[in-house]
Amino acid sequence: MADIAIASSSSTPRTESVGSTLASAIALLENDQNLKKQIREAVEPIDDLSRSAITELNKLHSAPHSQHAEICQNAADIIGRTQPIWVTVAALIPQGEFYRYQFAVGPTMRNLTTSLVLARFMLHDELTPAHTVSKILGLQQEGTEALQLSAEDYLQGVIGSVNELPRLSINAVTAQNFDLPIKISSFVNDIFASYSLLNLRNDALRRKFDSLKYDLKRCEDVVYDLTLRGLTKPRE
Amino acid sequence: MAQADVLVATMPEASTSTGIEITRRQHLQSTFEAYRSQLDSDNEYREKLIILSRTITQLSKKLIFHLHRGATSSPSARAKCLKEARGKEREIWGNFGKIKVELNSIADSNGVEALEGFWKWNRQVSPGLEEYIEGLSFLWYLEHQSLIPLEEVQRTLSDEAGEPLVVVTPEDYILGMSDLTGELMRYATNALSTGDHETPLAVCDFVRTVKSYFDSIPPHMLFKLSKKQEETTRSLEKIEKGA
Repeated sequence: MADIAIASSSSTPRTESVGSTLASAIALLENDQNLKKQIREAVEPIDDLSRSAITELNKLHSAPHSQHAEICQNAADIIGRTQPIWVTVAALIPQGEFYRYQFAVGPTMRNLTTSLVLARFMLHDELTPAHTVSKILGLQQEGTEALQLSAEDYLQGVIGSVNELPRLSINAVTAQNFDLPIKISSFVNDIFASYSLLNLRNDALRRKFDSLKYDLKRCEDVVYDLTLRGLTKPRE
Repeated sequence: MAQADVLVATMPEASTSTGIEITRRQHLQSTFEAYRSQLDSDNEYREKLIILSRTITQLSKKLIFHLHRGATSSPSARAKCLKEARGKEREIWGNFGKIKVELNSIADSNGVEALEGFWKWNRQVSPGLEEYIEGLSFLWYLEHQSLIPLEEVQRTLSDEAGEPLVVVTPEDYILGMSDLTGELMRYATNALSTGDHETPLAVCDFVRTVKSYFDSIPPHMLFKLSKKQEETTRSLEKIEKGA
C-alpha cells in the first residue's frame, strides 16, 4: 500500500495514535478493575460476620440440646448485622449491573443463606424462603435495590445447609438427643423431594444436588439405627 | 424468583384460615415448581443466546478468512474485498440486533431492565463478541492501517439511534486487540510471500507497540490477557523473522 517514504515518516505519529488509543482503553480497564476491587473490599466485613455465624453454628455439634436455640438465635443475629454493610456494597454497583459483579457478592450471599437456613431450620423446623433470607440480609431495604439474592445463589445455599445435617444428626445421637435425627431426616427428605422437581443442567447446582442423596442416606441411616435399638418414639 | 415465592409464602396463612392443613412438603412443592419454571425459562434464553453467539462466531471467522484472501491482492481487488467485508460486518451486526431483541423480550417478560439481562447473559454473548471484535479490528486495520479505538467498536455495535446493541467493555476490547495481533502475523506472512516487504515491517512495528502497551497491564488485572500475550510474543517473533 504505502510506499517506503510514507511508511517510515508516518511511523512515529501512527505509533503515537496507537499508543494513545491503547492507553485510554487500559485506563478504562483500570477503572473497571478498581471498582471490582472496591466491591470485593466492601464485602470483606460481611464475610467476617459470615464466618462468625459459621463458628457460632459449629457449636451445635458439641453443645447440649438446651443451648441449641440460643446458638441459632445468635447466628441469626450476627447475620442480621450485615444489613448496613450491604447498603455500602449496593452503593458501589452501577444501576442494572448487578450480574456484572455477582461473582463478588454471590458466594457471600450463598454462605449466609447456608447459615441462616440451618439456624432457622433448628429454630422453626422450616425451610426459610428466599424472600425471607433476602429480608433478613437487608437486601430489601432502601439503598440495596442494586442487590438481589439470585435463585441460583439461594438454591445452592440451601443445599449447603443440608450438607451440614448428617454430621449434626450423628452428633445428636452421641449427645443422647434422639428427636433431632428424626426431625433432620424428615427435613432432608422434603428438601430432596423438592429439588427433584427441578430440571437441572449439568452445572454447579446439579453437582450440589447430587450431593443431596448421600446426605439423605446418611440421615436415614441414623434414624434406622435408632429405630433398631428402640430409641425412637413409637409412631402414633 | 422473588415474585414467585412471595406468592407461595402467603399460602400457609390463607390455608390455615380456611382450616385446611397444608404440609411442609406440599408447601415446598409449590415453591419449587415456581423455581422449576424460572430455571426452565432461563435455560431457554440461554440456549437462544448461545446459538446467536455461535452464529456470530462463525460469521466473524468467515469475515476474517475473507479479509485474508483479499488483503494481499491487487489494489482494485483489495478494495472490492474490503467493500464486501463491510457487507459481511453488517450481517453480523444484524445478529447483534437479534441479541438485543432477545434481551429486550426477556426483560419485558420479567419486568426488569434490558441492561440487567445483558450482564446476566454476558457469558453466553461474549465468545461471539470477542470474535467479532477481532474481525472488525482486522477490517479496520486494512482500511486505515491503524488501531480501531474502543469508542469506534462501540459506535459500530450500536443501532441507528446510537443505542448500544451490546456493551463493549475495555476487557472485551483489549482481549480482541490481543487476538488481532495473531491475524496480523498471518497477514504479514502472506504479504511477504507476494514479495511485499513494507507491509511486514509496518505490521511488525504495530504489533510491537501493542505488545509493549499490554505488557504494562499487571496479570492479576486481566488474567486471560497474560496467556494471550505469550501468543502475541510468538506471533511477533514470526513476523520479525519474516521482516
